[in-house]
This record gives sequence, structure tokens and C-alpha cells, in this order.
Amino acid sequence: MFEDELISRTSMQSDTQQIALGLRQGDLAVIEALVEQYQYRLVRYLIYLLGRRDGVDDLVQETWLRVLERGSSYDGHSRFEPWLFRVARNIAVDAMRKRQNLSLDSDDDDGRPPPSPASSEPSPFTLAARTEEADRLAHSLQALDPVHREALVLRFQEDLSLQEISAIVGAPVSTVASRIYRGLATLRPQFEGETA
Amino acid sequence: MNIDHHENFQHMIDESLAGGISAEREKSLRDHLHTCAPCQEYLSASNNVIAGLGGFSFEVDPSLNARVFASLRVRAQQVEAAQPRRRQWLLISLAAVVLTISGSVVDLRFGDLIASVFDIQRTQLQHGLLAFWIVPSLCVFLLFPLLPWLSKAGTRRQGRIV
Repeated sequence: MFEDELISRTSMQSDTQQIALGLRQGDLAVIEALVEQYQYRLVRYLIYLLGRRDGVDDLVQETWLRVLERGSSYDGHSRFEPWLFRVARNIAVDAMRKRQNLSLDSDDDDGRPPPSPASSEPSPFTLAARTEEADRLAHSLQALDPVHREALVLRFQEDLSLQEISAIVGAPVSTVASRIYRGLATLRPQFEGETA
Repeated sequence: MNIDHHENFQHMIDESLAGGISAEREKSLRDHLHTCAPCQEYLSASNNVIAGLGGFSFEVDPSLNARVFASLRVRAQQVEAAQPRRRQWLLISLAAVVLTISGSVVDLRFGDLIASVFDIQRTQLQHGLLAFWIVPSLCVFLLFPLLPWLSKAGTRRQGRIV
């Protein structure tokens, strides 16, 4: 079992080193392979972060261009996904600042009410719900604070550790954990009173 | 059992789901869950939330990848085109450093000799060297740190996303 883990870790490191090398050399074939591999997850992350679908494609495009330009800053010592999401997040935050919409960098305890949906159109979560559970969550998810939604998708969809999420969002691990607890606490009433 | 007791274990459930709990506390939580219906229900509701998060399937525009590839190629060409220009500026900057230093050396080592050959005053020679040799080459050298920034700004202005 230990050997399996070691082999898997070694293989992962070799993959990330190859990605780092490709990015350092500005190898388009490597970046295009990364686009194929991570595109859906990048789109999903940005939808969770922004709570809307429009404008996400532009941010995705901008993110990959940034990957091409600043790929040399990825050292290959850790997984690629957290680095990619951090790049995407920075671009999304810049775009939000330009739109003078809302800041993601606010403190958790500032008493700010969760932002309401930007329009009367169905939310991206309502449109994307494919299961009964997802359908029940869609509305509350849209009303959830973006930083809580972001923490939930990174932890439970991307399966990232608290430390990796902390590096993406630039907040302490304890803050990230607290955002996950609050996100779960907001969504949990949808399923309370049911047996397993 | 009192409410605080359940709250403690429910907080431990949150910690466990978030991935930040020690093995010892995890074991204590498991033991508690065997005997506590409210905490089992809390865990079940939390697991349903997590399952629900996995029940979304977002549509990705089929043409998005093609658009990304096209814009990557355009940007890569722009970056490649900027490379020789950068090398050229680097050479110019190096030449400027050499000229600045050699101008100063000429002034210090051969200033008196040159002044006597051309029958001019030493200060006149110094002013001439400063005005037409040392200061211009120094200015070219000092401009160099600004060049990458100017080049990048130019590339960005040209590089509209496809």
C-alpha cells in the first residue's frame, strides 16, 4: 500500500515537472493538452465563484493566456490545479473590480449580506442541476456568499486540501475551514429531517 | 446528553468533512456516531449536501476550446516576434554601457594629451565628452529597464483576444 502511494506520488511529481517544463518553454502543445484536460473544471470553478454563466468564457480565455505568459512561475513541486485556479481567481477578481461589482477579498465577519442574483434569469445552478439533490440546492447555492460557494466547490468537487485552498484564496487555513462550515450550514437545512 | 455535547460532535463532523481533523478525534467521532441519532442525521444531511454539489453539470460552449487555442497561437506569435527585438535592445544597452565607460576612461587617462593635441582647454574637452559621448550613452543605458514594460504594453494593445 505504501509502495502504491509512493509510485502514485512519484508519477504525479513527474507529471507536474513535465507540465512545469512545458510551461517554462511556452510549449503550445502542452498548454493545449492542459486546456483539454482542465477546461470543464475551470468553467465550473468560475461559475461557482461568480454565481453567473455570462462572462465566464472570456475569463477562461484570459486565464489560459495568462498561463502561457506566466507559466514559468509554476514550479511543478505541487499539483497544477491549485496554481491554475489561483490564476483564474486573480483574473476574476480583477474583472469584478473593473465592473465595480463586489469584492471577494472581504472579511468573513463583516456582516455583509449575501449578494442576490444579478438578474431574473434562472441561475446557472438551476440550469445545471441534474439530480434531485442538486435541484434542491440550486436556489440556496445561488444566494450563498461567493467565498463560501468557492470553498465548497474547491473542497468537495476539486477535492483540494485546506492548505491548497488557502493558497488559492490567499486566506488562512482557519478562514477557509470556517467558510466550508458556513457553506455547509447554509445548505444543510435542505436535507434536515430526513433519514439516511 | 446536553446540546453542547452534540454541538461539539457536529463541529467535529464539519471538521472531518473539511479534512482538518486528527485521527484521534476522528475515532472519537466515529464511536459517538454509533450511538447518536441526531449526529447521524446531521452527518447524513451534510453528506447529501456534498452529493448535491456533485449533481450539477455545466454546459461548456463546444467552440470555447477552439477559441482558446486560436488566441493562444496569436499570443505565442506575438511573444515570439518580441524576442529578437528584446535581444536587439539588450545589445544596444550593452554597447551603451561600454561607450559610457570608455568615454570616462578617455577623459581620465588621455584628457590632457587630447587637449594639448587639439590645443583646447581641459574643461572644454570634458564638456564636449560629457555632452556628445558620456551623457547620451548613459541615457540609452538608463532607458533599458523601461523597455520590457513598454514592449509588453505594446503587445497587449495589439493583442486583442480572438
